Amino acid sequence: MSAATEAKADPSVAAPASAGTELMTYREALRLAMRQEMQRDPSVFVMGEEVGVFDGSYKVTAGLLDEFGPDRVRDTPISEEGFVGAGVGAAMLGERPIVEIMTLNFLLVAMDQVVNHAAKIGAMFGGEVRCPLVIRTPNGAGNQLTAQHSQSFDAWFAGTPGLKVVSPASPADAKGLLKAAIRDDDPVLVIENLPIYKEKGEVDVDPELVTPIGLAAVPREGSDLTLVTHSFATVRALKVADQLEAEKGVSVEVVDLRSLRPLDVETVATSVAKTNRALCIEEGWPTYGVTAELAARIQLACFDDLDAPVERLGMAEVPLPYAKELELAAMPTEERIAGAILRTLDLAP
Amino acid sequence: MPRLSDSMEEGTILTWLKQVGEEVAIGDELVEIETDKANMAYEADVAGTLTEILAQEGDTLAIGEPIAVVGDANGAGAPAPEEAPAIAEAPAAPETPAPAEPRPADGPKSGDIGTVSAHRADGARVKASPVARRLAKERGIDLTTLTGSGPGGRIVKKDVKNAAQDASPAAAAPPAADAAGGAASAETAKGETTVEELSKLQEVIARRMAESKATAPHFYLEATVDMSAAVEGRARLKAATPEGQVVPSFNDMVVKACALALKEFPRANGAYRDGRFELYSRVNVGVAVAAQDALVVPTVFDADKKGLSQIAEDARAVAAKVRDGSVTPPELSGGTFTVSNLGMYGIRNFGAVINPPQAAILAVGAIEERPVARDGSLAIAQLMDVTLACDHRILYGADAAEFLARIRALLEEPLSLAL
Amino acid sequence: MSTTLTAAPPTGLLDLYGEMVLIRRFEEAAERQYKAARIGGYCHLSSGQEAATVGTVAAMEPDDLLVTGYRCHGFALARGVSPEAVMAELFGRRDGCAHGRGGSMHLLDVSRGYYGGWGIVGGQLPIATGMALSLVRRGAPQAVLCELGDGAVNMGAWHESLNLAAVWNLPVVFLVINNQYGMGTSVERASAEPDLFKRAGAYRMTGERVDGDDLEAVIESAGRLLTAAREERKPAVLEAVTYRHRGHSVADAGLAYRTKEEIEERKLADPIERTKALLRERGVNDEQFAAADAEAEAAVERSIAFAESDPAPDVDRLAAGMYAPGSGGQFERMVPGSPLGERELVFSGGLGE
Repeated sequence: MSAATEAKADPSVAAPASAGTELMTYREALRLAMRQEMQRDPSVFVMGEEVGVFDGSYKVTAGLLDEFGPDRVRDTPISEEGFVGAGVGAAMLGERPIVEIMTLNFLLVAMDQVVNHAAKIGAMFGGEVRCPLVIRTPNGAGNQLTAQHSQSFDAWFAGTPGLKVVSPASPADAKGLLKAAIRDDDPVLVIENLPIYKEKGEVDVDPELVTPIGLAAVPREGSDLTLVTHSFATVRALKVADQLEAEKGVSVEVVDLRSLRPLDVETVATSVAKTNRALCIEEGWPTYGVTAELAARIQLACFDDLDAPVERLGMAEVPLPYAKELELAAMPTEERIAGAILRTLDLAP
Repeated sequence: MPRLSDSMEEGTILTWLKQVGEEVAIGDELVEIETDKANMAYEADVAGTLTEILAQEGDTLAIGEPIAVVGDANGAGAPAPEEAPAIAEAPAAPETPAPAEPRPADGPKSGDIGTVSAHRADGARVKASPVARRLAKERGIDLTTLTGSGPGGRIVKKDVKNAAQDASPAAAAPPAADAAGGAASAETAKGETTVEELSKLQEVIARRMAESKATAPHFYLEATVDMSAAVEGRARLKAATPEGQVVPSFNDMVVKACALALKEFPRANGAYRDGRFELYSRVNVGVAVAAQDALVVPTVFDADKKGLSQIAEDARAVAAKVRDGSVTPPELSGGTFTVSNLGMYGIRNFGAVINPPQAAILAVGAIEERPVARDGSLAIAQLMDVTLACDHRILYGADAAEFLARIRALLEEPLSLAL
Repeated sequence: MSTTLTAAPPTGLLDLYGEMVLIRRFEEAAERQYKAARIGGYCHLSSGQEAATVGTVAAMEPDDLLVTGYRCHGFALARGVSPEAVMAELFGRRDGCAHGRGGSMHLLDVSRGYYGGWGIVGGQLPIATGMALSLVRRGAPQAVLCELGDGAVNMGAWHESLNLAAVWNLPVVFLVINNQYGMGTSVERASAEPDLFKRAGAYRMTGERVDGDDLEAVIESAGRLLTAAREERKPAVLEAVTYRHRGHSVADAGLAYRTKEEIEERKLADPIERTKALLRERGVNDEQFAAADAEAEAAVERSIAFAESDPAPDVDRLAAGMYAPGSGGQFERMVPGSPLGERELVFSGGLGE
């Protein structure tokens, strides 16, 4: 059930580089994808705040300006609605803009362009024109970034027909899915994550290797419980699963969604049918969130195979506070995940 | 309204045998009820005073509907009784021969088989996870007999799985100790009636045999196998076998012959299920064994691949386990075909009931020395009658006949069993 | 349909007159059809704004690009979209220019460089700006004409788009059709700087105002600014002052915020009449006007007949167009656990077609 290419993020292990694969960080994988696609197709260009001269606020685009020049790596003024909309317009004429939004929190400013414009073009104009736009942006929290800078609105976009939304959790998938997004003829939101940028993993550098959109991966097989995760929750889940197996002998399967819209319910359902229990984890707020959608679909697709209700875990339903202790208490940390796993297995004290 | 027969769905009050205000003792006849089969007197299972009659003479009520109130108990109307709980695989039970389409005997009808009522006696709904419910239903386990290990006493999958394993067929459950119809015996035209509660295993057999007959249209093919060569061959084998080592029995030979033939006739090794044929790659032959007042069918796995002596050993070993009660559910399941042999009782011929959901069952009679006509003159041969009962939804006349002919051919040339 | 920029020969202007009449008749017909419930939703008419509409479009080169807001019937017709395709779209029919899936506010014709038809006030500005960016990236000698109303100039998108166009030198002319009212709110009540063209100065961008009912003046201004955009990559704001005779939409009588007297007075300055007067001076006779009028009316009649007989879009293709062709496969694994109807309506409804 594992996908064609996925790697466990395990920075402690220097995996041997095999022909065609390299160990690299998630951000390096994104950069590799953009470089390869820009080399391959002149209509691909990057636009966003600080992507050029500054080398990118999270250094994802570092070096691209030098390589491709200011026409293809454009620094924008701080005007998300303006330059996201500009990306929409350029895409309608057949360009393939990659719009970088510094964090998902700032995409709110451009909500209208994303939801009311980009997502509507195909349907509203009867298929007469397409919008092959990519918007890449990190979600996530931690390091006391406080309320306005710590949100993960994945669900808001994943719930919008007309958009496609992907969220890679490994460097290999970061490369593969960003490439897929760039080559896709529809508007694709690529949700990255702040702490995930430094995760390392093996990446097949083949420029033609693309991860399909709409296919989940199973980076860890198990028999007692299915964890359904995406983005940084996958990274946390894998760590906790290994830990709990060693400490308590529980066998946990992890399904990494990779794609939120389309959502690979088949892989999730197959897993839950096997383990009979599901715990869905996300970085954002579960109420009306990605995990809410998962729970609804799992209970329908796996009704007769459930041994317990589907559980969800995410950010506590509060604007994230500043103080370290409060922040840690609210986030879906490894500790909270471990507790949730045990609870779902009826093993909690 | 009590359920007085397994097929009863409603009953009509004929005559109240007690009046309001009268004392009622356990076992007293309370009321005469007309059921779909007969009129029956219902005996009180609680003691007290008949305080209220809720159903009048002539009223027809569904089972479970209250008909009277005795004392301060919940009334004489029992809630919808649960299905006979059953576990694991069911054995094939022999039946008196009926080569033609048998008329259903005056026995259990396959009524509402498989539904598991999930209400306890007090009416509270049983908490069980969806997968636990599904498994319980599939295995015929009564949820109300289980204790849940999940939160809030929820019955979860492992509770059902453990229950399936606990109730091993050899551990015959003691007869139900509740008062309903317990030790009571009343004088009737047939003399004293002693009621025996069925063991769980017997309940399973009853249910599955009824289900088999009701759902699988049986047809029967008879053949007479000339076992002379087999008899002679076995005698020589026995002479050549050192002391202590197992000599394959005739039944072992039959098992092997069936296995080889099943390999050539996949439908005979299959099952009709859910409107489709299921064909299985393994040939697992069940061998019916009598045990503890019941019949059990342990499985010889991959019988087509095993040598005759291996089959003999396996069959012997598992039969012993059945008799001493140590046989396990996996050993009783997975069968794709069944052989039932009553030859040791001197039965010449009989028709068996298919072990559902298998496609067929071979009933084997005794080997007898009989006169036989050969090339126009009389001879003596060792003959054995076999009857193949087939599920007509998956096997048809010609292919079943060819299958049976193959078995016969293999048995009549016993060296072919050594292959 | 486009003409040269300087004083056009009478035949050219007569064609434009014909277009103006076509628009007027079309809008009248649309209003009637809307009230007969053949057209649903919102229907925003541009009666009274014909000179600004036709003049600016006439100033475009054939391969310039046009982006508008939702009051777009006139612009679509001026750009050459057939009245049949427009009326059928208003009727929600299969052969409407958006195949019945957009309606009045979302007309388009990619073959004529007309990229919609947008319903969010000001939302089209960043898109037009992005199109201009694409033209620059390709080195294409084309410009974008981006139409908006006086109400849109107070949206954040106005500011962001103009800033981007100016800082990146993009070939886009922002055409502000100032018909004095943003829905029911007059420009004076809404805009701290009611001389809307002056706002271009905040971005050191050219800003001009023109009498939107003076066809020749419109052609001249728009032509000049589009040329500067096309050739020198200089964006600009052109405020065309005009008036709408009807309400904000068909559902608005337009009297809550204006007086009948004002409307009547403005109607006296009907741009169609002004253009007629101008043409008469240039020698056009009544016969020619009559012919043009008749042609316009006939065209509108034909469009209604077409729309009436055109079939409705196929319900079995509810999701068609939403995603690019070939996307169906990406969604196959999403089917299990779908809400009621999603399977039939969306997954089997032409998703990815």
